[in-house]
Amino acid sequence: MAREFQRGHKAKISDLTAGRDLYIGVQIAGPGLTFDISCFGLDADERLSDDRYFIFFNQPKSPEEAIQQLGAQAGDTESFRVTLDSIPSAIQKLSFTATVDGAGQMSQIASGYLRIVAGGEEVARYSFSGAEFSTERAVMLGDFYLKDVWRFAAVGQGFDGGLDALLKNFGGEVAEEEPAPAPAQGGAPGFAPPGGAAAAPGFAAPGGGQPAPQPPQPAPAFGAPQGTPPQPAPQAPPQPVPAAQHTPPQAMPPQPAAGSPQMHGAPTIAAPLAPPGQTPPPGQVPPPGPPGQFPGQQPPFGGQVPCQAPPAPAPYGQPPAQPYPGQPGPGQPYGQPQGAPQGVPQGQGGAPGVQAALAQYREAPTGQRWTPQNPRLMRVDLGVGGQPVLARQGTMVLYQGKVDFSYKGAGFRGRIVGNATGQEMQLMRCSGQGQVFLAENAAELHPIELQGDAICVSAESVLAFDESLQHEVRRIEGHGIPGGALFTMQFQGTGTVIVKTEGTPVVLPVTPTTFADSNAIVAWSAGSQVIISSQVRLRRAAYPGHSGETVNLQFRGAPGNFIVVQPYEV
Amino acid sequence: MDQQLITGYAPAPVAARMENHGASMLKVAMQSGQDLFARTGSMVAYEGFVQYEPNPPAVRQMASQWLTGEGAPLMRCSGDGLLYLADYGANVVCINLNGDSLSVNGTNLLAFDAHLQWGVERVKGIAKFAGQGLFNVGVSGTGWVALTSRGTPIVVDCGRGEDETYVDPDALVAWSTGLKVKGKRSFKASSLIGRGSGEAYQLGFSGQGFVVVQPSEDSTDRLRARG
Repeated sequence: MAREFQRGHKAKISDLTAGRDLYIGVQIAGPGLTFDISCFGLDADERLSDDRYFIFFNQPKSPEEAIQQLGAQAGDTESFRVTLDSIPSAIQKLSFTATVDGAGQMSQIASGYLRIVAGGEEVARYSFSGAEFSTERAVMLGDFYLKDVWRFAAVGQGFDGGLDALLKNFGGEVAEEEPAPAPAQGGAPGFAPPGGAAAAPGFAAPGGGQPAPQPPQPAPAFGAPQGTPPQPAPQAPPQPVPAAQHTPPQAMPPQPAAGSPQMHGAPTIAAPLAPPGQTPPPGQVPPPGPPGQFPGQQPPFGGQVPCQAPPAPAPYGQPPAQPYPGQPGPGQPYGQPQGAPQGVPQGQGGAPGVQAALAQYREAPTGQRWTPQNPRLMRVDLGVGGQPVLARQGTMVLYQGKVDFSYKGAGFRGRIVGNATGQEMQLMRCSGQGQVFLAENAAELHPIELQGDAICVSAESVLAFDESLQHEVRRIEGHGIPGGALFTMQFQGTGTVIVKTEGTPVVLPVTPTTFADSNAIVAWSAGSQVIISSQVRLRRAAYPGHSGETVNLQFRGAPGNFIVVQPYEV
Repeated sequence: MDQQLITGYAPAPVAARMENHGASMLKVAMQSGQDLFARTGSMVAYEGFVQYEPNPPAVRQMASQWLTGEGAPLMRCSGDGLLYLADYGANVVCINLNGDSLSVNGTNLLAFDAHLQWGVERVKGIAKFAGQGLFNVGVSGTGWVALTSRGTPIVVDCGRGEDETYVDPDALVAWSTGLKVKGKRSFKASSLIGRGSGEAYQLGFSGQGFVVVQPSEDSTDRLRARG
C-alpha cells in the first residue's frame, strides 16, 4: 500500500508509517549517466551549517549515525537509513538530492523514484521521469523536514549548475581543485584525497581510488568470521531475507575491489557502514522485505501518554529546569526567573536582534524565473527569460529594479467575451528588469509549468502567467448550471501559470468516478473531459430543502490527468 | 472525555518573554514591573492576574499625532500571568530588539514592551494616499516587539544594487529605520481614463536595511474595524 507521491505532495511521516527508523531508496538511471546521490542535513535556515551532515559517498554517515548511506541494493541506485529520533535538534531538514556525474542533463534520465520503506514495507514512493526536467544537472528529489513533526515532501526541483549550485544553495562551498564536494573537509577528520586515504578514519574514498583494500575487521561481539571480504556492490543481489540478523552471511563471494577502511570508525558494530556500492550485511540495513526489521523502533500505537498538558495546580507555563532555577511556587508562580532583566532572551527563546528574528523570513534567491518564496508569495525574476509577465492587477507587493507596470487590455473582442462569460481578468503587464513579488490576500500560490500542454483554470484563480502562454475562454455546456453554461480559462503553450487557492488544495487524479463541486474546482488538466452530472430528482423539486449539492462536474480522461480542488467554495 | 486529540495544543513551557504559540498566536509571560503595550482588543486569553488599561495617558500623549482621530489603539497590560494575543489569525512574528530600531506599520503592530522607546511617525508622502491613514510606530531599544502579518512575511534586503526597492504600501509591515523612504507615483496619463495597472503608488526604499512585506494587500485594521 505504498502511497504515490507527486511533485509537491507532502505528508507527515506519522501518517505514512509508525516507524521512526526508515529506509530511503533512490533509483535513478539514464543511458550513459552516473549519478551522485546525497543527503543534506540542513538547519532551520535551510543551510548546511554543519558539514558533517552532508551525507554522500565520501562521508556516508552523520556523527551520531542518524543518517547513513548504505549503497546500492534491492534495486535502488542508492539507499539511506534515517533514524528520525536520533537526528539532533539542530538538523531540521534532510534534503535528498541527485546530481549528474560528468556530462549529461536530467532530461536524459529514463525514470526514477524515491521511496520510503519502513519495517520492510514500502510506504511511500515518489516517481519521476526525465520529462519533468530539462537541462538541470542536479535535482532535489525529496525533503524530510521538521515542522512540529517530521514530514516528507516530494520536491523534484532541479538546478542547472549541478552539485556546485546545489551546495551554494545550501550555503556550502566547493573546493577548487577537488571535484568531490568540499564540505567533507570540514567535518571528516583525517580527510585525504583518494589514494592516500586507506587508513583515514571515518572517510571512505570512492571505490576506484583505493590502493590498499584492507580486510574488514568485524567486531568480535557478533562472532563474525575474520576477514570476510566485502561484497561487490553493483552486482550484489539484493538481500531481502532478514532472517539472518546479526549473523554475517557465510557464503560471501570474495572479491578484492572496493575495500573499505570504514571499520575503524565504529568498533561496536559488526560491519558498521557499507562503503558505496557494497551490500550491507543483514541486520544492519533494512532491505525491503518482511517487517520486523527494526525491533524496538516501532512506537506502540496508542501508547502515548494521553495528556501532556501541564498539571493543573501550576498552570502558568511549567518552567524547564535549566533556565529557571526557581520552582514555581506561590511567591513566583509564572515561570519567570527572579530579577531577570526585562526583555533579555531567556533560554532558547530567541537570539537577540532583529536580524536573527527575521532570518527565517529572508528572501531566498535561486536564479530561477519563478520562485515561491513561501506558500503565499511568488517571486518572479523578469531578467530570466526576458519576457514580460501578465499579473492580476494590484497583486504586486514589492519590486526591485526597473520594472514597468502597464495596463493590459483584453482587446475589444476579449472584453465582450469576458463580460459575457464572467471569465475576465484585470491584468497588468510587468516588464523590464528586476524582481517582482506577487501575492494576493494571503492565498496559497502554486506554480504550474506548462510544456506545450494545456490546463483549464477558473479565471478568478489565476494570479499571474508568462506572456508567452495563449489563453482563451472555454465553454462547458450542460443543463442545470445557472446561466446555462460554465466558462473557464484555458492556458496553452510553454510557460508558467500561477494558480491561487484559498487553503491547501487537493489534487485528484482523474478516474472514472471523479466529481467536483463547480464552485470549488480550481483547475484541471485540459486533457480531461468535463461532464455535468446533475442529480435532479423529482423529490427535490417537490419538497423544500435539498442537499445543496445538485450540480457537479464529472471528469473523465486518460490516466495522468488531474483536477485541483480548493477547500473553499466561491 | 477523550482529550488526546487536543492535548497537542497545550502551551509549551515558557522560555522567553514573548513566544509564538502556533503561527498566529502570541504568548507573553507577564510579570509585574514589566508592562506591555498591546493593540486594544487583541487579547484572546490570559491566565493569572493581568490588568488592562485602555488608552493610558502616556500613550495618548505619545500618540497625539495619530491621524485616526479616535485615540490611540493601544492598551497597557500589567500584572503577572500568561497573556495570549492574536489578530484575526494573522501570522505573528516576535522580535527581540537588541538596540535595534524598527519602524512598524501601526496596523501590523501587535504588542511591545512598555520600556522601549517608541513614537508615532508620520510617513512622508503617502499619508494622503493610503486609505487607512497610514501611521507608523518607531520602536527602538532592547526588548520584545511582536508584529502581525497576513501570511508568512518576507524580508528583503535593500541597497543590494543601485535600484530602489518599491513596496505596495498596503503590503508593507515594517522596515529598519535608516532607510530613506519616498513615495512614488507610477500612474501615467492612461491611468486617468481607467486603464491603470492597479499599482498606482509605491514606497521606494533606498539605503542599507531591510523591509518586511506581507503577502497580502489587505491592510484593513480588523481590531479597529470591530469597534
